[in-house]
Amino acid sequence: MAGTQYIIVGVGGQGILFTSRVIARAAIDKGLPIIGSEVHGMAQRGGSVISHFKIGDFSSPLISEGHADVVMAFDQKEGIRNLPFLHEGGTFLVNVDDPSMLENVHLKRYIADRRIRVCGFRGFDILDEHAKGAYLFLNVLILGAAAGMKIEGCEEAPLTAALETLSPPKFLSENLKVFGLGLNAA
Amino acid sequence: MSKDGSDNTEVPFYGKTPLLGNEAIAQAIVAAGCQVATAYPGTPSSEILPFVASTADRLGAAMAIEWGANEKVAFEMAVGASFAGARACVVMKQVGLNVAADSFMTAAYYRLKGGLMLVSADDPGPHSSQNEQDSRMFAMFAKVPCLDPSDAVEAGEMVYDAFALSEKHEIIVMLRPTTRVSHCRQAIEPVSSVKPGLPVKFERDVSRWVALPVTVKKNHPLHNLRIEEIREEFETSRYNYEVKGGGEAKLGVICSGVSFATLKDITRGRTDVDILRIGTPYPLPHKLVNSFIDRHEKVLVLEETYPVIETQLMNRERVSGRWDGVVPSAGELLPEVIEGIVLPLLHERPSAADSSELDAAMKELGIEPRKPQLCAGCPHRASYFAIRKAFPNGIAPSDIGCYSLAVNQNGIDSSLCMGASVTMSSGFHIAHAVSGQERPIIATLGDSTFFHMGIPGLVSAVYNRHSFVLCVLDNRVTAMTGGQSNPGLSGKVRKGDEGSAVSIEAVARGCGVKFVEAVDAYDVAAGADAVTRAWESAKANRTPAVVIFRHPCMLLRVPQSVVPVKVDAERCVGCRLCITNFGCPGLTFDAAKKKAEVDRRGCVSCGVCRVVCPRGAIVEAA
Repeated sequence: MAGTQYIIVGVGGQGILFTSRVIARAAIDKGLPIIGSEVHGMAQRGGSVISHFKIGDFSSPLISEGHADVVMAFDQKEGIRNLPFLHEGGTFLVNVDDPSMLENVHLKRYIADRRIRVCGFRGFDILDEHAKGAYLFLNVLILGAAAGMKIEGCEEAPLTAALETLSPPKFLSENLKVFGLGLNAA
Repeated sequence: MSKDGSDNTEVPFYGKTPLLGNEAIAQAIVAAGCQVATAYPGTPSSEILPFVASTADRLGAAMAIEWGANEKVAFEMAVGASFAGARACVVMKQVGLNVAADSFMTAAYYRLKGGLMLVSADDPGPHSSQNEQDSRMFAMFAKVPCLDPSDAVEAGEMVYDAFALSEKHEIIVMLRPTTRVSHCRQAIEPVSSVKPGLPVKFERDVSRWVALPVTVKKNHPLHNLRIEEIREEFETSRYNYEVKGGGEAKLGVICSGVSFATLKDITRGRTDVDILRIGTPYPLPHKLVNSFIDRHEKVLVLEETYPVIETQLMNRERVSGRWDGVVPSAGELLPEVIEGIVLPLLHERPSAADSSELDAAMKELGIEPRKPQLCAGCPHRASYFAIRKAFPNGIAPSDIGCYSLAVNQNGIDSSLCMGASVTMSSGFHIAHAVSGQERPIIATLGDSTFFHMGIPGLVSAVYNRHSFVLCVLDNRVTAMTGGQSNPGLSGKVRKGDEGSAVSIEAVARGCGVKFVEAVDAYDVAAGADAVTRAWESAKANRTPAVVIFRHPCMLLRVPQSVVPVKVDAERCVGCRLCITNFGCPGLTFDAAKKKAEVDRRGCVSCGVCRVVCPRGAIVEAA
């Protein structure tokens, strides 16, 4: 099937929806169809949040287990929990909070068996160091990291353009700065 | 988040824009020339009305756009507008339609004047609801035609057809999106023009506008006739069509809603499955459906959440679905579920990767789904702590809103539906009273819920002399659904509109409540004291007492004093009381050190937790 399928996961309140909107805007600007499913309401109150997002010729907003190309995780536990969405050889982009977790023997075996490409970055540390610990910018940082790690559908130029379009004016310069931090986190 | 629920009002409009299904519906409502739009917020429908307002502002549409105090109010506002001649719509979630059911069932028979579309958004899953009821079943019950979109683009298109159908047959038309349609995002062209509205001029016509048995006897058969006319029209509706596999399909699947979209993705490239997509589940176009069934050896029906199409089938001999148990009768029809149903019917087995290593890893790492919880600094957490402090063994009936999440703090004992905290308190009281017992009953409900359905119960409790304390958790917003206004505030949904705020205290006193006090929810000592005195008063005077816990919702980001806190490790004895009874995301427990800790990623420095620790270990950080 022609297209790219993303599962974006984290915890309610982390600003996940903005991330998929930026990728969506960039895809539309390239003339590609998009469809996705978001979580609003009760599930946003600090609970597990999952966004399905697809670029290409799809009808359903939902992704079946074993069919996602990319799992983007704002939270590493949520990311690990949702790895079954990835097809073999898929990409796991993850904000690494506790690197020891990724050293778990069973997890390493699962990742190796499924030939999963793991792209980790230390989001909280980067924001602590360069953005006064403003974790609200994690959603932009992860986009930068996706571009930096050459993840499908996340090229630097169209994402930057989409970010410029969608950022509220008062956050634009900070968003672009954090996006740059993400690019270099790779 | 904007104050009125849409996070998308600042989206620049050029070319196709990634819009939510709810936003597609909303902008079509404006473009279709709707003149009156009303709603009560509820997930998954909440974004519709705010986006109607922002679109109307953008295009300068002459529209009245208002929240009703509840769904019945909103529904009847729209019916009145239709009687007056205006094109109107009313928006709610599925359980909201229960509240509006009285007017909905009767308005169905009327010959309306202005077009009237009802949007009732369902929540299979459920993701954010107290049940999984299917509004299409309600449409069938009321004999109201129903449109069932499969994605955001189609949801927008159906709005125009809903109004056209409504105006042609002078009938209410229901549009029924589900969560996956309402919160589906697709590239959609923003609307740029507004169709002219209808002339508004109410004309007296008692035989048409007054529901007396004599008029119903005449109108009900006429209503049946127009439903048959609509059924005939639906035979050729563009929303009903076949997607042929191309081969000798043994399996025919009749499906609707997002199940259709999901099935299409699953069966892409296959030739052995034919699909009949039904976008008009009621009244069902029988000829179209019967012909499809006749041409297939085996037929499956996939629809969410109840068997509405399936129930209407005249012959179910070769049909599988919910009636024969092939399709699960609860929960969402996720892609995995549909694969698990369809593939075995084609004598194939769904392929699932071996996840035993991942399961083992998650077990070792203690990874579980995270439950939703009250935000850090949420005033409700402080209120419940105060109430439990005053009455550790009181009965705590609660209601529908963010505060349902106080179940994590053992703060609530029951919740049923909007306003039931008040009326069930009456029930708890009389059940105990009739058996010669008495227990403190401390009910809680939010500001919007109080106005929605709390008032009749309070009137009834004053009248019948029931002893309980009703705590109104007034966080100055309708929070759970994304921050809408309500009658307790003067803000309205459309820019420039100013409302008149209704005082909760004045309403409570007007209902006959004598003990009415308000406290700042962050002041736990004052809250516990007020609830204690309120119960004494309620008990002594055999009447309900009201305590208002007031403090703005954290999502409103109202500036407040910043009190950074830390845990004094010397004083912390590791009892975990702060975790189990207060449960703030800003407090964590270090299992190795056996000490509570402040998690700087979660803490918002509200300072409330300082009163929580019996050892005084949580202190202001210097």
